[in-house]
Amino acid sequence: MFKDKPIKILLAKPGIDGHDRGILVLAKAFRDAGMEVIYVGLLPTPEEVVDTAINEDVDVVALSLLNGAHMTVFKKVADLMKEKGVKDIAVVGGGTIPDADKPKLEKLGISGNYGPGTPIAEIIKHITERAAEIRKLKATGE
Amino acid sequence: MKVLKIEEIVRGILDGDRRAVSRGISVIENDYDSTVARRIIKEIFPSTGRAHIVGITGPPGIGKSTMIGNLSAMLSKKGFRVSVVAVDASSPFSGGSLLGNRIRMQESLSKYGVYMRSLANRGMNGGLSRSVWDAVKILDASGSDYIIVETVGAGQADLDIVNLAETVIVVLGPGLGDEIQAIKAGIMEIGHVFVINKMDRQGAFIAMKDIEETLAMSPSGEWKPPVVGVNSLTGEGYETFIEKIQEHGNFVKNHSGSILRKFRTELQMTIIQELRRKFESDISLFLGDNAVIERLIREKVDPYSAAEKLVKKIT
Repeated sequence: MFKDKPIKILLAKPGIDGHDRGILVLAKAFRDAGMEVIYVGLLPTPEEVVDTAINEDVDVVALSLLNGAHMTVFKKVADLMKEKGVKDIAVVGGGTIPDADKPKLEKLGISGNYGPGTPIAEIIKHITERAAEIRKLKATGE
Repeated sequence: MKVLKIEEIVRGILDGDRRAVSRGISVIENDYDSTVARRIIKEIFPSTGRAHIVGITGPPGIGKSTMIGNLSAMLSKKGFRVSVVAVDASSPFSGGSLLGNRIRMQESLSKYGVYMRSLANRGMNGGLSRSVWDAVKILDASGSDYIIVETVGAGQADLDIVNLAETVIVVLGPGLGDEIQAIKAGIMEIGHVFVINKMDRQGAFIAMKDIEETLAMSPSGEWKPPVVGVNSLTGEGYETFIEKIQEHGNFVKNHSGSILRKFRTELQMTIIQELRRKFESDISLFLGDNAVIERLIREKVDPYSAAEKLVKKIT
């Protein structure tokens, strides 16, 4: 039952966005999928998200926004990670993200970017894959 | 920047670098029995023993996380370096967990740069105690003055906290009524400082009096556990609360008994773990052999005789 090394994931809605129904549904789904889930609550700053990710040494940071600020706020998170030299934490996104923005987010290293209606299994699969990449990175040290 | 190597983790921990501390704890959490994890602990161990380890326990929902947020903020303001380790329950069904303690302390964590780490208890067997004990060592070696450890909630895990923490805080509140009666037996014996949270609520003073009376009736040693009332919304009572924690810290320093007991307990745990490690493969080999098991059943061999015979064979 207890997998040796559960995926550790941080869920965050950085920026001014109080709509957390979606992220709470995901938090529970991820827990039920055997992950260790940390939710930082509403309105954390990008700095808080990155600090928490480092202190908790998570494998994946999952960002969600519905208010359209993703190109600013998600980017800020990615920039801060880069600034701090953090390469061994994956960043995934989701929320109401227009298709046109998805390639731009991908370029920043933020993958997934799922919208409403995405089957939860698909999201879990993506996170599991990203986490596996990260774990490999941590193990080889390269 | 490359991913951290063992030497970098060890050096980083001793320098108080957060990434190294975080990664060190992950190594211990995920592979606590590995040579890598052991090497980290062996190398940092000489630098441990400086921090005051404070355990916080009490029933769920009583306000432990909020209290830790307040405590860590106040201690930081006084110039101390504070670290927090919070243990949350893993689901026995999926093995997953929702580590939620952070939400209630986020503000003080960011504002005062308090290091906080959430650990899932992962089924409570083996891994729990070891990874928490070693996580505390890493935080100790990294230069923390105070390490606050939050337990899952009142129950079995509390017994561990007595051996891990120098000072155990038991948090209770008004309105627990019969629940206090139920948990009294175990919990009254482990607390060094009793705190009644939510002093603004009805019945708080009755709860305080109740605890004081129970304590007065229980035999105690040289340290008489104080009962402090606090209000976590206004910060009322926290100054006294911190004084009591510090008083107990000084008391422990001057009484080698508890240091001896702590070390002895941990050593005992480690020896048992080491023994288990040594014989684990023999035991599972034995248990996995259907022919042997079937024969034991057929011949009606009782478990004691079977176990005694196996132990004799492998030792």
